[in-house]
Amino acid sequence: MLKRWIEALLFWAALALLWEYGVAWLGVRRYLLPPLSAVLSAGWSARELLLENTWVTLAEVLVGFGAAVLGGVLLGVVIQLSGLARRTLYPLITALQSMPKIALAPLMVVWFGYGFGSKVASTFLFAFFPVVVATLGGMQSVAINLDEHFRALHASTWDRFWRLQVPAALPAFVDGVKIAMPLAVIGAIVGEFIGAEQGLGHLMTVATANAQTDLMFAAILTITALAVLLYALVERLAKAVWWRGISF
Amino acid sequence: MLQAVKPDTLSAAAAPPAQSAAIAVRHVVKTFAGRHAVRALDDVDLAIRPHEFVSILGPSGCGKSTLLRIVAGLTPYEGGEVLVNERPVRGPSPEIGVVFQSSNMLPWLTVGQNLALGCKLRRIPAAHAAPKIAALTEMLGLKGFENNHPHQLSGGMRQRAAIGQVLALDPQILLMDEPFGALDALTRDKLNVELLRIWQEQRQTVLLVTHSIAEAVFLSDRVLVMSGRPGKVVREVRIDLPRPRLPERIKEDPRYGEYISELSRLMGVY
Repeated sequence: MLKRWIEALLFWAALALLWEYGVAWLGVRRYLLPPLSAVLSAGWSARELLLENTWVTLAEVLVGFGAAVLGGVLLGVVIQLSGLARRTLYPLITALQSMPKIALAPLMVVWFGYGFGSKVASTFLFAFFPVVVATLGGMQSVAINLDEHFRALHASTWDRFWRLQVPAALPAFVDGVKIAMPLAVIGAIVGEFIGAEQGLGHLMTVATANAQTDLMFAAILTITALAVLLYALVERLAKAVWWRGISF
Repeated sequence: MLQAVKPDTLSAAAAPPAQSAAIAVRHVVKTFAGRHAVRALDDVDLAIRPHEFVSILGPSGCGKSTLLRIVAGLTPYEGGEVLVNERPVRGPSPEIGVVFQSSNMLPWLTVGQNLALGCKLRRIPAAHAAPKIAALTEMLGLKGFENNHPHQLSGGMRQRAAIGQVLALDPQILLMDEPFGALDALTRDKLNVELLRIWQEQRQTVLLVTHSIAEAVFLSDRVLVMSGRPGKVVREVRIDLPRPRLPERIKEDPRYGEYISELSRLMGVY
């Protein structure tokens, strides 16, 4: 256990050192890639600014992601349960999913303005489809023998849905949610790039415009940390669904 | 002494009259449609009296599992008719319990919850079901494992739980589709003894599909032998071994060996 921690620590330390001294050895200009220490010190002096914008981005991500998960599950279940929805909505969803979401982000700004709304919409767009597809895939992954067993036990449609399809769908569903989480962060940042007054994505565009490469990297590190934390949280929750691939 | 009789002579003499049959299958035909349609069952006839233990033996692919699913109301059929307690089968019915080859435990539920699942799905009140489930848990040697999940159990224990789940429903008729087919020989023998003990107490009507000749002889009153595809009941062997059957005594009985040889010949083993 300790050995693993030491290994990980050494790896990250080596990476940090490589960044810090590598840029000097290779003569990379500071405005292209500042050394790590410069990024960290820029981040530290701008910590309040970073934190303020982090909250904004975090709120956008959480609201958009939450809506995507809720909406995705709902739509997935509706498509699964209704033949009509499967014939009409499902092809539409597939078509929409193939559309580059990034192309829709400017439209979101036109529709919902420069504030919170357009970022939530963009986050939703990025995170929604994987949840729908995963929910559907999960609902269809019920083992045939279990389905037959439930029929033999005279289970009602509701019981087959709630006691069999839903739990059987959970492993695939949590996979979809895991994919959707980093996409939600991307959605929020893209939304902020297109047009925003605050948020980490907005901060990056401002830093770039002012040639503050060190602040831009500080913002990138902050976004990355945020995404990693959120993903770890989702992964933690997903651990509750442990019955992947088990069947008797 | 050995009575291997052709079914046509049987239907008049040995087979029970239709009125008293718990399960009656008459001229049933089943074809699996598709580009290469397969006739699975061809004019199958059988009748099982209440409280009788009947096994169906047949080569793999002969349609014996299909026949069992038809009786269970899980698979539609084309020709003929299937009666359970003199009523035509239209779908799964509460008087029938089905045990499959896979234990069908839900991995996300504990063993206790799995045992109670059947009762829950059939809306049997928990207060009514609980004592029965507790007794079955004890009887099937699952006590102390109620809070474990199925993957923590051996295959034999999972299959016991599967049988318990169905027995908790108090079915009059028990249909079993190679329930011990996935188990090792030792576990299988043990579960056969347990199944027989339970049956001797509760006397459900049992239709067991198996490919084990020894299992069929040890357990059954009658063994029906099916032909290869399309499946048809071609022979019937009445097992006149005394009950209650104790494994140590039955396996010493010379007739036990004779029945096994007889059925092995009928099945083309030798």
